[in-house]
Amino acid sequence: MDDRFFEREYNPYESDASLMESKSRHADFADISVNICGIAMKNPVMAASGTFGFGEEYAGLYDISRLGAVVTKGLTLERRCGNPPPRIYETPAGILNSIGLENPGVEGFIRWEWPRLCRSGIPVIANIDGDNANDYYRMARRLSELDGLAAIEANISCPNVEKGGMAFGQHPESAYEAIKAVREGTNLPVIAKLSPNVTDIRQIAEAAVNAGADAISLINTLQGMAIDIHKKKPVFHRTFAGLSGPAVKPVALRMVWEVFEAVRVPIIGMGGIASWQDAVEFMLAGASAVAVGTANFIDPFAPLKIISGLKKYLIGQGIRALNEIIGSAH
Amino acid sequence: MSLFCGSVKIIDNVEIAPGIFRMGLECPEAAESASPGQFLQIRCFEGLAPLLRRPISIAAADKDSGMIEIIYRVVGEGTGILARKTKKDMLDIMGPLGKGFPVPRGLRRPVIVGGGIGVAPLLFLAKSLKENSSRDSYGRESDFCGLAFVGFSSGEEVFGMQFLEDCCFNVEICTDDGSEGHKGFPTDLLEEYLKHIMPIPASNRENAKSAGDSECTSASSAILPEAVYACGPEPLLKKVKQIASMTKIPTYISVEQRMACGVGACLGCAVKSSGGGYLRACRDGPVFEAHQLIL
Ligand SMILES: Cc1cc2nc3c(=O)[nH]c(=O)nc-3n(C[C@H](O)[C@H](O)[C@H](O)COP(=O)(O)OP(=O)(O)OC[C@H]3O[C@@H](n4cnc5c(N)ncnc54)[C@H](O)[C@@H]3O)c2cc1C
Ligand SMILES: Cc1cc2nc3c(=O)[nH]c(=O)nc-3n(C[C@H](O)[C@H](O)[C@H](O)COP(=O)(O)O)c2cc1C
Ligand code: FES
Repeated sequence: MDDRFFEREYNPYESDASLMESKSRHADFADISVNICGIAMKNPVMAASGTFGFGEEYAGLYDISRLGAVVTKGLTLERRCGNPPPRIYETPAGILNSIGLENPGVEGFIRWEWPRLCRSGIPVIANIDGDNANDYYRMARRLSELDGLAAIEANISCPNVEKGGMAFGQHPESAYEAIKAVREGTNLPVIAKLSPNVTDIRQIAEAAVNAGADAISLINTLQGMAIDIHKKKPVFHRTFAGLSGPAVKPVALRMVWEVFEAVRVPIIGMGGIASWQDAVEFMLAGASAVAVGTANFIDPFAPLKIISGLKKYLIGQGIRALNEIIGSAH
Repeated sequence: MSLFCGSVKIIDNVEIAPGIFRMGLECPEAAESASPGQFLQIRCFEGLAPLLRRPISIAAADKDSGMIEIIYRVVGEGTGILARKTKKDMLDIMGPLGKGFPVPRGLRRPVIVGGGIGVAPLLFLAKSLKENSSRDSYGRESDFCGLAFVGFSSGEEVFGMQFLEDCCFNVEICTDDGSEGHKGFPTDLLEEYLKHIMPIPASNRENAKSAGDSECTSASSAILPEAVYACGPEPLLKKVKQIASMTKIPTYISVEQRMACGVGACLGCAVKSSGGGYLRACRDGPVFEAHQLIL
């Protein structure tokens, strides 16, 4: 589908008064391509890990190569079955999930998903999650053999598993250890995905960068829970689950802001982004790119609307390139 | 791309039984490709709470008019909002989604078993079974006579029965309180019927009661049901699965699970697979062969 046509079809922002006003004053071109630690993306909007499967599921609705990049579901060394249901629970403007990293394992991914994904014409970032530092090392090494993989995102923030996951992301020492292991296993760009369930996110970000992270992505889900008042028991088998969606946006934004002031590597911002206005906020706070997660479930076209909204915003503001606004609210 | 996502016009939204509504939607794209057992993900509210789309089965689809229908029960916030929508309002839907019921050609004695709102997708199924019945490999008309065992909590909740009869199904109704039809569950009737029609050990045969006086069951005991299809609450599906394990009749069940994406991307709708691990209700199902799942 032609880009222009699409924008007319789906973009409800055309009538936004503030855009219209300034539109005529400026050129109708804005460069929204970004390069994050060597990952060249035609726009800064990615699909967040775990909310986009392996890219196939939404392909029936639109050409996924229109996105900036796709991040895979979290991979582990061995295949995992995930947690027993229920895995999803709705909360006001958010959802709690307890998927438990169900995935085909690194080898399953390479065998069944990669052959298709590598032809999708879009940067693919593999999200990995280990029980220990050695897992991170081995996965990074194995994935580096793939021809065309854009980067590795080390998830040190999954709240829904027994071992590893979020535990790594809660202390600067263990964050350092995990990211160091990934760094040693690969020459690809390494993105450290941080957990918001910490007292001081800046310390974790600094540790990750010291260990060799080329970029930081945040936030993963916020730990929460729900109780079934009829059964008088927690809804989830693992008691706690991860909160995402618009409800977490202010927290995510604050953390992007803090990390931007603490480290000098690019930031991929996420957490509740559902509109282009949300994305702009994250960029003004310091994100060089954004990822859309939960919003895909509500409006599968949300990432595309965000891409076209961003373009229009820049044009409306008379800004030629996206990087001019990154962190500019500081 | 056969998946549709967008706003469609509501044609009507009528309460057909207390708390149960039927809504007609104009959506040629979905009507064209929908098959029985598939569902829609409906965004009941434009704002952020309730946030998620709600899965609702397709109860009818007509390619010629471009219309689809859903039948839903008001149980909470989302369906409550849906019930307040009126003719000409727009509704954001995505679909058709999931793997539906297989509808082979030329079936003569399919059996459907439905409980409560679970009857909704079976209406679409019944119509397709009837339409496909005559097209056997020789293109002959067949002596199609389906059987429907349906259960409701009470007589006033009953819906869709005339429709099933028009699709050449013999309908047997049960209610929990006995206010209409048999008192009991539709799975009791299924069990009785199968005992009546299947070759069973003589010792058991004495206990087997006739499932009723209907033409199909008494007259043509030679024709065994080719397939059993079920949709309803979990206890009903469990019982159907148990019955299926004792017969060799292919049995298909439609399951419900809480969903987020509805397309297979989030792994939120896990149902336990008998092969180990989980399957996705939204993409691998919602219709499964009974033996595929651990219920
Ligand atoms: C494949 C499929 C087909 C369905 N078809 C129909 C149908 O044709 N007609 C009909 O009336 N209902 C159907 N349901 C059930 C329907 O989705 C729920 O009744 C509805 O989501 C309840 O939403 P609510 O906001 O009114 O209730 P609430 O109780 O306020 O919902 C709270 C949360 O629970 C979820 N939820 C609650 N009950 C169910 C359930 N049984 N299944 C899945 N999620 C649930 C909701 O999606 C929501 O996230 C179907 C469910 C599935 C999975
Ligand atoms: C259902 C679901 C599954 C997720 N799975 C993963 C995962 O496997 N790995 C990971 O790093 N993050 C995972 N996440 C976190 C998201 O990638 C994202 O960081 C988070 O949801 C915040 O963004 P959002 O509010 O836009 O969803 C998952 C989130 C959801 C909702
Ligand atoms: S609802 Fe997302 S995988 Fe089924």
